[in-house]
Amino acid sequence: MTSASDLITIFSDIIKENIPGDAWNWLYAQKNPANSYDLNLAFGIMPRKTGKTLVQITNQQQELINAAKPGLSINSWAVDRLSRVWLLAQYQADDQNTYFRTIENLFSAAEMNEQVALYSALPLISYPELWLKRCAEGIRSNIGIVLEAIMYHNPYPAENLPEPAWNQMVLKAFFTDKQINNIYGLDSRANTELARILIDYARERHAAGRQINDMLWYLVQKFVTEQQLNNMKQGHFND
Amino acid sequence: MCCSHHTEERSVPLAQPTEKFDMDLIRGMKFFDPHVHMTSRTTDDYQAMADAGIVALIEPSFWLGQPRTGPDSFKDYYSSLVGWERFRSSQFGIKHYCTIGLNSREANNEPLAEQVMEMLPLFIYKDGVVGIGEIGFDDQTAAEEKYYRLQLELAKESGLPVQIHTPHRDKKRGTQRSMDIAIEHGLDPGMVIVDHNNEETVKEVLERGFWAAFTIYPFTKMGNQRMVEITKQYGPERIMVNSAADWGISDPMAVPKTAALMKLNGISLADIELVTYRNAITAFAQSGQINEADFVSVIDQSAKFEGNSILRGGQQPRIDKSSIIIS
Repeated sequence: MTSASDLITIFSDIIKENIPGDAWNWLYAQKNPANSYDLNLAFGIMPRKTGKTLVQITNQQQELINAAKPGLSINSWAVDRLSRVWLLAQYQADDQNTYFRTIENLFSAAEMNEQVALYSALPLISYPELWLKRCAEGIRSNIGIVLEAIMYHNPYPAENLPEPAWNQMVLKAFFTDKQINNIYGLDSRANTELARILIDYARERHAAGRQINDMLWYLVQKFVTEQQLNNMKQGHFND
Repeated sequence: MCCSHHTEERSVPLAQPTEKFDMDLIRGMKFFDPHVHMTSRTTDDYQAMADAGIVALIEPSFWLGQPRTGPDSFKDYYSSLVGWERFRSSQFGIKHYCTIGLNSREANNEPLAEQVMEMLPLFIYKDGVVGIGEIGFDDQTAAEEKYYRLQLELAKESGLPVQIHTPHRDKKRGTQRSMDIAIEHGLDPGMVIVDHNNEETVKEVLERGFWAAFTIYPFTKMGNQRMVEITKQYGPERIMVNSAADWGISDPMAVPKTAALMKLNGISLADIELVTYRNAITAFAQSGQINEADFVSVIDQSAKFEGNSILRGGQQPRIDKSSIIIS
């Protein structure tokens, strides 16, 4: 896949422009860690080396990212997050098993910002099929920034999650008051079952006297008649 | 690791004249509690602490009361200190730091201690880890000494401050021994915070150049009236106050309450600021991990992204506790 190496090139340029020269020299030397210990260390120590300022990117760089990986945006990322993702995206192991264990180990001992970086890296690391359970586990998190790393401008869920896990993610986004329109793939992954669950949820909210997010109706409208939609919006759920 | 597991030693005074804690005394002041086990506390505590002006805290890793039986329990505990608990704290606008270490009690389980030691390098370099702690002596056994020494070496190697728990029993000797061993391993006393001091230990700790932390903890440790006297006698230099609030009867408001009592007793605002805020920051910022700018904006910058309508970084909405209605 050439898009992966394109992305690395774009990321390298962006990182170089956003951190001091000596930090870049250090980072560049970490790109092929000899073993998992070196990877763990470089991954953990990243913010001390790169700082944590927000990444500044040009419109042109954003377009290049979109072209290489539709759905991905790094607009609100800090530079340590981008650098960690850059590091993970290039990591290689001798075999799939070692690769899996090494990355999983990072997940299992990750602090909050490390978790954010790890979930942000899901669309870029190898063997996408290996991370389905991990992604579902992340969706069970209640830590806001971790959820956002999975939900916002991250193409991995739309590209990989089976329908139940996808639906769970969207529902969780509603439950935790996330910005639903930041989720990539809402249209392509819309489905009847999700619409049914969301209608149930809307009914429950209505009964409790709570507000209903407009984006909920957006995801439902494809699967009901206009009449039904209008009825529900007015609180009439018996069809 | 604190304090009330020695319930057998404690004699609870039956009734004392009470004076109400007047929040107005400390309004506008900010506090740093450098020792508090939030894992064992409720959201009500977080809210009260934030209201009283606590802007940041340090949660040392400690004994949870229930002994751990395997290394994964330690791993998950350390992970929660840099993960879940940090997040919980951020919801109340309090910046959460931690120290990572093998506590003295569980150092006595040697096969487990070995595995924990192997794990520590994975955690001590993590963001927001401001020291190795709390470590030191409990029963003053050979195993405790062994892992205390190993962790001092780790602190030296990583350039991190050390937070020392001093024992309940045979306290004076245990404190002296902790300092002797730290010196023997070549640690700079300025990098070592000796915790749970009292009138008996403070003089030597300060004279030898260490930081002296005091835990204001009902029944078993310092009361804050005694703390006022100590501050008057020794001045504010290298002295800090903490709550060590945990799963026992303890008070996460100990730092602001002590500040209020100091104010009532004529200690200057500048001195109060040193012992309830500044000194702890100076000591633990030697880790390179404390940035005061983070206190006011604990919320991740990405959460400020345009169009994000939720409470900052997932901050918790306030509920009206005086209402009978829960909605």
